[in-house]
Amino acid sequence: MTSSYLLFLLSERLFGVKLVGAIEILPWRTSRRVPLSFSYVEGVLDYRGVVYPVYNLARRLGIVRPDPIGFTATQAASAAQGQSIILLEENKAPFGIVVDSVVRMTKLEEPAEAREKARGIDPKYIKGFVTEEDQEILILDFERLLHAG
Amino acid sequence: MRLSHIGPNLKTIMDSSTRFLLLSLEGESFAIPITRLMEIAVSRDIQKDPKLSEVFEGKVEYRGKWIPVLNIKKILKFSGRSGAALLIVRGAKGMLGILVDAVIEIIDAERGPMPMPKGVLNPTLNYYSGIIRHKDGLVLLLNEDGLLP
Repeated sequence: MTSSYLLFLLSERLFGVKLVGAIEILPWRTSRRVPLSFSYVEGVLDYRGVVYPVYNLARRLGIVRPDPIGFTATQAASAAQGQSIILLEENKAPFGIVVDSVVRMTKLEEPAEAREKARGIDPKYIKGFVTEEDQEILILDFERLLHAG
Repeated sequence: MRLSHIGPNLKTIMDSSTRFLLLSLEGESFAIPITRLMEIAVSRDIQKDPKLSEVFEGKVEYRGKWIPVLNIKKILKFSGRSGAALLIVRGAKGMLGILVDAVIEIIDAERGPMPMPKGVLNPTLNYYSGIIRHKDGLVLLLNEDGLLP
């Protein structure tokens, strides 16, 4: 059985998210910062009458590369501007994730277990993996990602 | 007591759940419901009180009583000096002074506050009572009772 997935790149790895309900892809924009929020929360974003929490997915997954020496805040901000924000839903709760780039939508078979394939990512956040055209696609478990604290 | 009044007697302003005092902390906008605001004053004559925890700047005499003055920037982990404007607010546990950088204006929001989305903050933290829309942005509504240690 196949389902629709949106594929995106994050830190040069290919990820997939199962499409359930509506989805929006926005060019990167500044979210309203919330002081004392979780470290992986970029902020909250008002889009078409809905307030979305926006998550820095790379930080949540622990795959942020350290900034090069001499990298200034201004340069970091301009790097973020090449990214996209995907607005999704999980259990009817809307949220956004920051990704490096959106690749395509595709139909994929149900993912296989990927405990040994997580490579630096906490396996509990990975639902499984699918191989398509020799590319390994990691399918994330957003329910765990967003509610594991 | 030497509190210098810099605004109108705000108690005379009609109560409304969509009316808020917009204030600034390190250049970011926050708000409190106007119904909680008793007075805006210049933050003079704040007396240190070693019995108060470090998030309090001290205490101030207001209408014959000593009330604690909260350094909200310390609670929200902002750097920089404590604010220069003192708000006297009515909290659930009594009167409270709150130091902010500046009072911007009284605003009428399009509608009442929206809840903070889940997954942004640790649910045990109760620092915000919601979010309001103002102009093109989102403003965080401070919960003066939840800010108290």
